Amino acid sequence: MRAEDCVLWGFAALFILIPLASFLVYGFFFVVDNSVVYRPTLANFAEILSNDSYRTTFFKTLRMALEVSAINLVLGYATAYFIWLRPPAWRNFLVIALAVPLLMSYIIKIYAMRGVLGTNGLLNSVLLALGIVDEPVSALLFNLTAVRITLSVVLLPFMVLPIYISLERIPNSVLNAAADLGAGELQTFARVILPLSLPGGIVGAMFTFVLASGDFLAPELVGGIEGFTYGRLIFSQFGLAFNWPLGAALSILLMIVALAVIYMARRLGNPRWQR
Amino acid sequence: MLRFQGCFLSASTVLFAAGFASAQEVRLFSFEGYAEPEWVESFEAETGCSVSAAYTGSVDEMFAKMAGSDGADYDLISIDTSIIQRYVDNGLIIPFDMSMVPNTANLLASFTNVAEVMSGGETYGVPMAWGSLGLIYDTEAFPDGVDSWEALWDPANAGHVLALDDANNNVTNAAIVLGIDDPFNLSDEDFDAVKQKLIDQKQYLISYYAGFEEGVNIWDTSEASLMFSMGEFQAVELANRGYDVVYSIPEEGGIGWLDTWALSKGVQDAECAHKWANHYLNGDTGPTMTELKGYGNTTDESPGLDYADKLIWLRPVEDFDRRVQVWNEVKAAQ
Repeated sequence: MRAEDCVLWGFAALFILIPLASFLVYGFFFVVDNSVVYRPTLANFAEILSNDSYRTTFFKTLRMALEVSAINLVLGYATAYFIWLRPPAWRNFLVIALAVPLLMSYIIKIYAMRGVLGTNGLLNSVLLALGIVDEPVSALLFNLTAVRITLSVVLLPFMVLPIYISLERIPNSVLNAAADLGAGELQTFARVILPLSLPGGIVGAMFTFVLASGDFLAPELVGGIEGFTYGRLIFSQFGLAFNWPLGAALSILLMIVALAVIYMARRLGNPRWQR
Repeated sequence: MLRFQGCFLSASTVLFAAGFASAQEVRLFSFEGYAEPEWVESFEAETGCSVSAAYTGSVDEMFAKMAGSDGADYDLISIDTSIIQRYVDNGLIIPFDMSMVPNTANLLASFTNVAEVMSGGETYGVPMAWGSLGLIYDTEAFPDGVDSWEALWDPANAGHVLALDDANNNVTNAAIVLGIDDPFNLSDEDFDAVKQKLIDQKQYLISYYAGFEEGVNIWDTSEASLMFSMGEFQAVELANRGYDVVYSIPEEGGIGWLDTWALSKGVQDAECAHKWANHYLNGDTGPTMTELKGYGNTTDESPGLDYADKLIWLRPVEDFDRRVQVWNEVKAAQ
């Protein structure tokens, strides 16, 4: 191993692996009278698997994350494709404009979305002004739809950027060759551009899915009664019930799903799978 | 028992706090409305201690944060009398040196001998504010008023109701609504009934909220016209934002609370902390708080709070952890 690698792994161990492990190990402890008892047990996992409400919340959340990924794959691809077709000077500007929200505080963005979706919000004002509705629609906020919309908007850059990068990496010569061989625009898109840029979409879908499935702020702030997701379940063990062991055990299950998704994305993201 | 939390997760927090907490500072962790510029500035000028305040959204959150760091992050916390013993039992608060809080001489008679602030002969809480968890309604939507909590379970009000996200207060209030004799000492059947009552309510709610401001903000962005309130301050805030609301205690009664300043086990500047508790009882801070924030104070009359006899004062409960567990199940219920 080279010296740089040693330093890199050292940093990873010190700042990522050891803190993560010291946290996950809590999942195998338990709580008595508000104190953590440091004796190994599988009781937390038994409780999670036997409790209906944990299970339903788990699958509800995964489904919601999957829907957000699907919505974002479509929106994100369209956006990236649009940017890619602009002249080079425009492209850089648009990509930067898209990345700017990433510098903003996450919680501010969610509050902003609440302002947009509320009964006195921007979206309702526009709908009213255009005469599409007669009175404000309250169905836009404080339900699972609001969570889907908010997460789709907030996570969009994570989808657009990888797709845009894979579009950028398609050599002009390949497109010229397609034209020379008589492929129409539609055919070039379907048989050359889309397959070559799809790995970016898979990476983006992975980002979106993993971030959406673990999120607890958006569900809390815009989700209302329906917004009790798996992330909030974990949060409430740490932040309200003071049951860190159960919270850590719940996190381990989510992490297994996240790692599986990342592994799958790695396999699928390699263009060779298509052959 | 050896507690490892300090070594593992909160090590960074502790180091950060130790490294950066300057001398002559009091770090408050409280509900909103207890650290306003009107009395923070005079305190800082008189004592030379600076004030940093963090706010909590619920009783549960405050306990979890204190337990998670063994109190290292805060000097003084605002807790109600019913929960003081729980903090004492968990070793999270330490007693005051009452010789450093001479202004307790200013306390009204009803607040001078509160049994719950004492434990083992020591004083763990300095009574500083009281109030209720009342019902707020919009007078436009309810011109005839609302006199029962059942309005929060009325299908006619579906989509217009807000409730707070707090385990003990929801369980207690539901028990009051159900007419259970002792809402602080529930039997197994009582727990089942309370849980079902709270689950039944979900279909009518817009959202739960955590924190005074959060409740007011949701009211602002939704079609809310009824709210299970965290306290008087919310009615004041809603009125400030132009809503015509009434704060009331329905006929079933409502939860009454007496908040105290309590000294965290992890207190860093104990002198400033004592001075803050003392400053709160100087006879000026209390009435100002009542005037601006609507809470009752403990040193003078509290104009406007004329419903003390309708309140059911919070007392220690049979099993706090069970209440937190039940509340989590209510929130997770489909």
